[in-house]
Amino acid sequence: MKKGILIFAHNNRQIDYARMSLVTGSLAKKNLGVPVSLATDPSTVEWMRESNIFDKASEIFDHIIIVNRPQENNNRKFFDGKENFVAPFNNGNRSSVWEITPYEHTLLIDSDYFVLSDNLSKYWQVDADLLIGSGYNDIVGESRTGYLDRYISDTGVKMLWATTVMFKKTQSTKIFFELVQHIKDNYRHFADVYRFNPLMFRNDIAFSVARHIMYGFEQDAEYSLPPIFSVTDKDMLYDVDANKFTFLITPTMNDQYCITTVKDKDVHIMNKQSISRNFDKLMELV
Amino acid sequence: MNFGYLIVVNENNKHNYSRLAYALALSIKNTQKPGYDQVALVIDDPEYIKDYNSTWVFDHVITWNNKKGWDGRSYMDQLSPFDHTVCLDADMLFLRDYSHWIDYFIENSELYIANKSYTYRGEEVTNNYYRKCFTANELPNLYSFYTFFVKNSPLAKEFFDLQREIINNPVEFSNSFLTKYKPKVVGTDEAFALAAKILDITDEVAYKLEFPRVVHFKGMIQNWPYAADVASDHVGFYFDRNAKLKIGNYQQHDIVHYVEKDKITLETINTLEEIAWKKK
Repeated sequence: MKKGILIFAHNNRQIDYARMSLVTGSLAKKNLGVPVSLATDPSTVEWMRESNIFDKASEIFDHIIIVNRPQENNNRKFFDGKENFVAPFNNGNRSSVWEITPYEHTLLIDSDYFVLSDNLSKYWQVDADLLIGSGYNDIVGESRTGYLDRYISDTGVKMLWATTVMFKKTQSTKIFFELVQHIKDNYRHFADVYRFNPLMFRNDIAFSVARHIMYGFEQDAEYSLPPIFSVTDKDMLYDVDANKFTFLITPTMNDQYCITTVKDKDVHIMNKQSISRNFDKLMELV
Repeated sequence: MNFGYLIVVNENNKHNYSRLAYALALSIKNTQKPGYDQVALVIDDPEYIKDYNSTWVFDHVITWNNKKGWDGRSYMDQLSPFDHTVCLDADMLFLRDYSHWIDYFIENSELYIANKSYTYRGEEVTNNYYRKCFTANELPNLYSFYTFFVKNSPLAKEFFDLQREIINNPVEFSNSFLTKYKPKVVGTDEAFALAAKILDITDEVAYKLEFPRVVHFKGMIQNWPYAADVASDHVGFYFDRNAKLKIGNYQQHDIVHYVEKDKITLETINTLEEIAWKKK
């Protein structure tokens, strides 16, 4: 079965997802030993050419798949340590992954998910059509994990993290992704039924609800991908050195920061600006 | 095999317990295999059930009014007409066939007491909001709402005799054994737990098992981020025409201890009756 990794990247004026995906794509390819493809849109490709990274992208990615840019008014507040800014959050086309993936067995990862180990390789052998990140694992620990990191709402279903999704191209996963799209199209209705906040579309929520429905409205007892080891956007990637990532983290989400390092461990870095600041060092890794 | 479920009710003006027992008996008839669906009702006054449409769901009706209130359950071992019994709380519903577990209990146990409960989302309850007496006094976490026992078992006899002593002498036992947190009332759960602890039989009668799975629908133990007195103020309780139950977003398949007595409406009863009649 042909397997590979897929990353979506749709740039906006503030965040260069395409450039970020060069690093995440390269690291995933290097550490998991399978090809990587990029799904992106014409304007992002244009920017990649302008900023002279398209040739590099063509080297790294097995396929560069051109899709329509998600047309939506989905803004969110991003932090860069203590600073913050509002930017579009163009992530509403993940449900199309089933149609566009060039692989029969696909690992979908976010463009800010850095694969620094071969841990996910083990999951290709799991006898399951669909695996999703089973939860949130904060770098500081439980003290910084909120209720809405664990559940989609106060009384609703358990939150799965669509940062990592592995699926086989089967009839059941086709239905699953169609259902994700249906939930997205009727997001306010599902927000009423599942009591989540509808103001910003989140794949994590749509995937969690779809999985819950597909599983017969019960707690999912099937296999899943490991919880997503995450560094929030109030923390900062400070330095990168031979596969060791150094972070400034704020354990209590205030102005106090301390330093910590991550090595040989997959990590979801939510502070995009700090990734961008360390781009050259990150590229040296690959 | 002579097996059956035992439901003990004492009617009072506040709650219509016989109706709850009737709903539970109907749900047992509707979901359990023949031979595993016998029900005995212990009631202080059988007049309360005489107007029900399908009293045949009670295979035995035993009149017993020696003790008022919930203490009647303390006599379950003496009241049961079955050789092998599971005694249940009245405010529960069966939602699928659990008969295979009865075979397990008959094969392996003389006495087995539920020692876990679950939220409507299928998570094991870990919150001790309603069980401070248990944690403070290091009592085993027993729930009397599902108790399997074998008639004439020496182990069961010793256990039930002691828990009756506790129920009948709550002040003495509280003063001696529940000193770190005295419960307002020494109920059946506390008496069961204390009896098991004194006899040192917890490992025998409440070992780790994947059954019974009972959803305990009390507000404060649903793992919500806020205090909740009445659970159904926060999530819907949807009982459909096929007697399938959804709580909030979750389809229920385990035994549901719904606690809120008003959840059993006439419509609920009619639905359960219709299914029972078709099955019959």
